[in-house]
Amino acid sequence: MKPNRGWTPYLFVLPAFAVFAISILLPVIATFGLSFTRWDGSGPLKFKGFANYIRAFHDSVYVSSYWHVLVYVVATIILEVLAGLLLAGAVSARPGTTFYRVAFFVPVMLPLVVIAVLWSFVLNPDFGLLNAGLDAVGLSSWKRVWLGDPNTALLAISVISGWIFAGFYMAIFYAGFARIPKDIIESARLDGAGEWTIFRRMKVPLVRGITEIAILLCVTGGVQVFDLVFVLTNGGPYNTTEVPTTYLVKTVFRDQEVGYGAALAVILTVVIALIGLLYSRLRRKTADVEF
Amino acid sequence: MTTFDSTHVSSPDVHQAGRKKGLKPSDLLFHVVMTVYAMLFFLPLLWMAMSSFKTNGEIFQTPFALPTSWDWSVFATAWADGGIGRYAINSFIVTAVSTIAILGFGSMAAFAFSRMRFRGSGLLLTLFTLGLLLPIQSYFIAQNSLFEYLHLKDTRWALIIPYTAMGLPLAIWLLKAYLDSLPKELFEAARIDGAGDLRIYWSVVLPLVRSGMATVAIFSALAAWNEFLLALLYIQNDELKTIPVGLLAFSTKYITDYHLLFAALTIVTIPMIVIYVLFHRRIAQGLTEGSLK
Repeated sequence: MKPNRGWTPYLFVLPAFAVFAISILLPVIATFGLSFTRWDGSGPLKFKGFANYIRAFHDSVYVSSYWHVLVYVVATIILEVLAGLLLAGAVSARPGTTFYRVAFFVPVMLPLVVIAVLWSFVLNPDFGLLNAGLDAVGLSSWKRVWLGDPNTALLAISVISGWIFAGFYMAIFYAGFARIPKDIIESARLDGAGEWTIFRRMKVPLVRGITEIAILLCVTGGVQVFDLVFVLTNGGPYNTTEVPTTYLVKTVFRDQEVGYGAALAVILTVVIALIGLLYSRLRRKTADVEF
Repeated sequence: MTTFDSTHVSSPDVHQAGRKKGLKPSDLLFHVVMTVYAMLFFLPLLWMAMSSFKTNGEIFQTPFALPTSWDWSVFATAWADGGIGRYAINSFIVTAVSTIAILGFGSMAAFAFSRMRFRGSGLLLTLFTLGLLLPIQSYFIAQNSLFEYLHLKDTRWALIIPYTAMGLPLAIWLLKAYLDSLPKELFEAARIDGAGDLRIYWSVVLPLVRSGMATVAIFSALAAWNEFLLALLYIQNDELKTIPVGLLAFSTKYITDYHLLFAALTIVTIPMIVIYVLFHRRIAQGLTEGSLK
């Protein structure tokens, strides 16, 4: 194409750029700036240097929110990615599984808040489906106030998350499996390999790239978890399910500490960026070894 | 780039050939296990729908029984008096406007980035690509202050603008990839025929990127429909709330009216599930492709 096209290209980019700049680029820079100030959202700004950052590292609730999110991420790698991989293996090993694939994907497209409200009912100590089910099968002693018990709340949230997203990862892996040339699988089958062996020794290694992306998606998404936690526990009981995002929102919108909240947001952004960077480094390294 | 071929995502059962006919015991076991697992998804939903018809007493005492009467008026009450209808309309408006804006603005920008050379295009494209990676936490605090300053909070624009902005990076990235893969000759032929840029955009670009647009539309529309954090922070006026925030308000308002709560949940989930079942192939593809980028 010819260079020097005057202002036409800019006109084509302008609407998108204007919206993007006003609503994302500018606020990113402003959030960074605010993180060095003390501000209640309306009064005068006060420059505080790194005070907010120093405070953040001494803020035990904030620091522990990262431990909680770490537990959540590890749990969801198992309950979402690994479960999704196994499900994909199961539904791709046999004919006639369209029904299951459709069923398992249903929660993925529903609003998280709606699912969270539904599950808060399922786990409700008074009339919830889970406790009623435990009663029905004679396991009444297992009944819990699932979301009000510090020992089970975070786990319950992780399980709900798995219930939602296992189907999503299943869809990804299923698509990956479908791209493996059929004759490879068929010849292994003719050689007498069982479905589990084919899954373990052929399919899983062949979708390795997808697995890596899936884990990255699960980790970076998990660190940002908000909707589920906000609706189900909002960080309680006793801050045992506090994650960085819920604490961030409380700091800014309940305590009106915009400057401090901005610093917490910058730290979270840096953490997410570092995870992504580290991960892509690791991936490149393992790839070098392999080829 | 990870793109999945739609024909594979839901390819019919590829292993049919070469397998013996008839149901083996292992097949039966497989289907039993999978059905039990599938029940994990249907039981809560079924329980939810059933409970809409029950009285509070029935919900507490006979959670697994069928309702004794089928009073459909509870849905009308939740829809009209409870405001679920209003929330649905708000969600629809916000979703529709932002999705159309994403498709329009995104395809225009993708056209320019793919087919025109201009000063600063590399930098601009890098900024948009950065938008793919930036988490919402990196900007929503200042965005909130900005929207407050501009008096946008408690208007639909407070959601339409950020939803559009959040969808644009993916739209531009995906549509540019589509356009890049088209042969140069198509555009040159149009130009030789005397078509201007606007004409090429309208009659060549738009028809050719339709399948990419569908992916973008599904992904953006679902993201906007389901978005919660910004809707929670920017909209206090009950008249303007979208479904996620509205449902939360509803659940605090009718905190003990359980069958009404279940009815509200049923109204917002069942139609989505029906739409999904009808178009599951396209929707699953749009969602996975959009997330993988």
